[in-house]
Amino acid sequence: MNPTPVIETIGLSKTYGKTDAVSGLNLRVMPNCITAFLGLNGAGKTTTIKMLLGMIRPSGGEARVLGRQIDSSDESVELRRSVAYVSESQRLYDYMTVAQIIRFTRSFYPAWCADTEKTLLRMYELPPNRKIKSLSKGMRRKLALLLAFARKPDLLILDEPSDGLDPVGIEQLLETLVSQCSTGTSIFFSSHQIAEVERVADRVCMIHKGRLVMDASLDEVRESYRQIDLVFNALPDEYELRMPGVERIESRGHQVRMIVSANAESVIERARAYYPSSTEVSPIGLREIFLDRVKEN
Amino acid sequence: MLWYKAWLETRARFLISLFGILFLCSYCVLHLEQEAVPGTLLSYYNYVLTEGYGMLVMMWVLAVTLLMMGGLLREHALGSASFTLGLPVSRRRLMMVRVGVGALEASAIAIIPTASMCVIASIWGKPFSLSQNLFHLVLLLAGGAFFFAIALLVSSVVRGEYTAPVVALGVLLLIAVTLGDQKMRLFSPLEFMLGGEYFNRSSSLLVGPIPWVRAGLWVCLAALLTWVAVRVVDRKEF
Repeated sequence: MNPTPVIETIGLSKTYGKTDAVSGLNLRVMPNCITAFLGLNGAGKTTTIKMLLGMIRPSGGEARVLGRQIDSSDESVELRRSVAYVSESQRLYDYMTVAQIIRFTRSFYPAWCADTEKTLLRMYELPPNRKIKSLSKGMRRKLALLLAFARKPDLLILDEPSDGLDPVGIEQLLETLVSQCSTGTSIFFSSHQIAEVERVADRVCMIHKGRLVMDASLDEVRESYRQIDLVFNALPDEYELRMPGVERIESRGHQVRMIVSANAESVIERARAYYPSSTEVSPIGLREIFLDRVKEN
Repeated sequence: MLWYKAWLETRARFLISLFGILFLCSYCVLHLEQEAVPGTLLSYYNYVLTEGYGMLVMMWVLAVTLLMMGGLLREHALGSASFTLGLPVSRRRLMMVRVGVGALEASAIAIIPTASMCVIASIWGKPFSLSQNLFHLVLLLAGGAFFFAIALLVSSVVRGEYTAPVVALGVLLLIAVTLGDQKMRLFSPLEFMLGGEYFNRSSSLLVGPIPWVRAGLWVCLAALLTWVAVRVVDRKEF
């Protein structure tokens, strides 16, 4: 039996005037794994996340987070007891100190983990008595992460979490994400940093111009996605090479480049029927797939 | 803890307003008497109560308008609204706490200076009237509730850290000018707060019973505007 998704959207849409920020999004985020939400700036990642958390109302479709409807304000409050969210904005309450905002946030979460709080305070070197307004951008981001991790949430939603962090901070963040996931927290994070996604994500959802253009596990991507470069003396019709698993065909002169998401063997078999003078098969990274999807759309 | 947050957010503005008004009220009690002309109607009451309260009303309206600037729209302009809205708290509760803390602070800015005027007068052996002070205080708080609600509504409609206070002060000015006309004075909350209708020129005192019905009407109107502000924030997208 499939586990219940922690996030499930069906035809979720958001329109601003004539612009579709999110269009018919069907998303399923499974529990106990790290799911990356990849997309260019303005692709609809933040709008989707804000809809999930009840900050903006969807124009159409429906969604559930941890089994609760997002469009009911009472349900939304309940779901936020089990969800921690770190927004892309680096700002917190400037008039509070680090200790004050920790005390304030802690009061809303009975399961607050004091150990995580202490560990991260030490790891991030956050001065408890310093006013937030005097913290650097990176320190504020670390504080926001501490406030999210220490809640012991069932679901952690992070919007561009590594923005503003230095390489050490990013490393610490990725380690913490993995360790949080191992303790049963489902993680959904938006990013356009493909290297980070490749390092920690179990699954990747790609969004472009408000539409979901890919939803696959990273293992699937590594195992199934291939780039096939062929050189023909007589170029076959592109239609002849189209078959299940072929995502994209690009012809230039006598050369054909194909991106396949499955059935690479069958595709090569079919191509060989047209006697290519050269056949080259190589694995393809997330970056190429991402660029390919963005270009395609 | 939402009360704690609301207090931390407004305490600097509150304390500056409180001590500023306290200073001016103390100055009125101790020094305005010297302005009085012996043997004329310009008595102590005229200067201390009328002038002092006139100043208190103006300063109070200004202070409360600035005090009520804040909330989710300001946080949105500053970038911290996402953090607040990520907490397991309804927007209605956030607003109610803000209204609660704001009302307490606004009351304190009215009550403490009024009480201090009585205390300072009694310490320095100046005449003072508890009933007159109470009359002024009721008018100030009831009429002031309208300005409190207007400031809350503006801060719930207008985005921007500085835009909201500028608009709120503009609205104040508009109300003062349009309702300041002789024919419109009956509908002016500012006139009600200043107690012009109940002011006796020969004695410089407020006369007659405290107008509880009119005071109640201003409070009801303020409650209605507060309800509108809560609804507006409830429906807003951040």
